[in-house]
Amino acid sequence: MIKVNSLSVRYDNFEALSILSLTIEDGKFHAIMGPNGGGKTTFIKALVGLLPYEGRIEIDGIDHKRYLKKNSIGYLAQRGSQFSQFPITVLEVVEMGRYRFKEPDHTRKNKAFEFLKVFEMENFASKNINELSGGQQQRVLMARALATESKILILDEPLTGMDPKAQSLFYDMIKRIKDDFKLTIIMSSHDVGFISEYADNIICINRELIPHDKSAKVLTCTEVSKLYGPKIGIVEHHHLHSEKDDV
Amino acid sequence: MFEFFTLFFIQRALLIGAVIAIVSGFIGPFILYRKMSFIGVGISHGTFAGIALGILLGVSPLPVAIIFAIGLGIFIGFTSRTGKISEDVSIGILFSFAMALGIFLISLSSGYHTDIMGYLFGDILAISNNDLYLAIGVLGSVVLWYILRSRQMKYMTFDEDFAKIAGVPVGIDYYIFMALISLAIVVIVNFVGVILASSIIIAPAASAKSLAKRFSSIVILSIVLAEVTIFSGIIFSYSLNISSGPSIVFFVTFVFLLSLLAGKIKFIKYTKRNSNSE
Ligand SMILES: Nc1ncnc2c1ncn2[C@@H]1O[C@H](COP(=O)(O)OP(=O)(O)OP(=O)(O)O)[C@@H](O)[C@H]1O
Ligand SMILES: [Mg+2]
Repeated sequence: MIKVNSLSVRYDNFEALSILSLTIEDGKFHAIMGPNGGGKTTFIKALVGLLPYEGRIEIDGIDHKRYLKKNSIGYLAQRGSQFSQFPITVLEVVEMGRYRFKEPDHTRKNKAFEFLKVFEMENFASKNINELSGGQQQRVLMARALATESKILILDEPLTGMDPKAQSLFYDMIKRIKDDFKLTIIMSSHDVGFISEYADNIICINRELIPHDKSAKVLTCTEVSKLYGPKIGIVEHHHLHSEKDDV
Repeated sequence: MFEFFTLFFIQRALLIGAVIAIVSGFIGPFILYRKMSFIGVGISHGTFAGIALGILLGVSPLPVAIIFAIGLGIFIGFTSRTGKISEDVSIGILFSFAMALGIFLISLSSGYHTDIMGYLFGDILAISNNDLYLAIGVLGSVVLWYILRSRQMKYMTFDEDFAKIAGVPVGIDYYIFMALISLAIVVIVNFVGVILASSIIIAPAASAKSLAKRFSSIVILSIVLAEVTIFSGIIFSYSLNISSGPSIVFFVTFVFLLSLLAGKIKFIKYTKRNSNSE
């Protein structure tokens, strides 16, 4: 369980995000939604320990900073901010996730290989990651996030640049690994349609927490308008995936 | 008798050259991929200020230069990690300052008629046993570092954010790296002088990068290329009786240009093959 209290994240003097109180339950798929610049990445970076903040975050009752000293969180960064051109193999990338484990080299490599298999990327193990396609890289980075064996998996817009088929495969995969590995998944996305169908809980952020009706799993038109601005709404068909573009 | 002495100096020069080649081969590729190639310029000029201070104080310049170089390296690292400017910006400003400081300090020590040219462009005849011991010490530290920390360095050079989340002490590793670069530069400055030092740490790695793909191959190739160019430079300078620093830099640059050419040819062959197969 992640508990957030009086959180405030600033870039210099600009307060990009403030959250009074938020509880993120274990074992569920939480979607973070909000407009560009709404503070989703800011929130995620604070959660994984990449941004300083004021306020209090607790994970499993332990102070967040203390928790992070001993534990890694499975993290997938937003695209475009991911990595350098450094020549590193796919297997080595996944091995990064196992840095905290005190295990011999061959065990680390074997484990990393197992996580590559989860994403059907084992045939690419010895390839340079910079030579893969964007979608393939995304899978490798997912394998790396899982390789931490963290119970928490935080994904920042993992669907960017995926074709519709890859997206729906991705959601099926998320559901599968969520159950297989008993994960708490926190994921930001702009895809109202998919999120409505798959997420257990939606966190709406636009520089602060935007309240919405939790009992109706789906965001209503008015709620979406509140989040993204008055001119935008959604078509109220929840099963025609292909007709729904990003809002 | 004279011949023997010359040979002895040449042997020492070759030995220190071999050491420098290995040091550069291990460090250079990381500098390159971290996009901080300008660091050599910054720290070598900082070393000059240290040397000048040593001369002014009438103490051995080498230890002062080491302290100065490491101090500058850590300071450059600190400004770029905590501020909003990249390493290259602070280097661009600081290296002029260090040079100005060096010249100022040397002009203060008027009684001492120093061979500034020797410090600026190197003089392998001036290499002492102490310089050689220092070089071997630095080599030891660099090899030890590579064995113990290169995995962490790879992780953070590839993706510093995730490396941090995964538990790599990225700050500590970064400053260790900066200190090692500084030590390496001091040794190289001793060898080829302040002005010529930076290309020796960067160019072999840059050449290797366009020829090899895997990181380990790039490191090995950097070492080999550095050995070959430094040796050629020393022998060339000896047989033509010219200054060794410039001679080494000629060879280093020449191999770099060759590697660019080879990279281009590889690329042309590749595209030709692909367009033929269509
Ligand atoms: N490094 C930074 N320095 C200063 N301001 C920043 C920085 N990163 C983000 N911001 C600002 O913080 C606000 C929130 O940005 P954030 O990246 O969290 O948005 P987001 O919800 O992830 O947007 P997107 O949907 O485009 O990914 C924006 O107004 C942005 O301009
Ligand atoms: Mg974002």
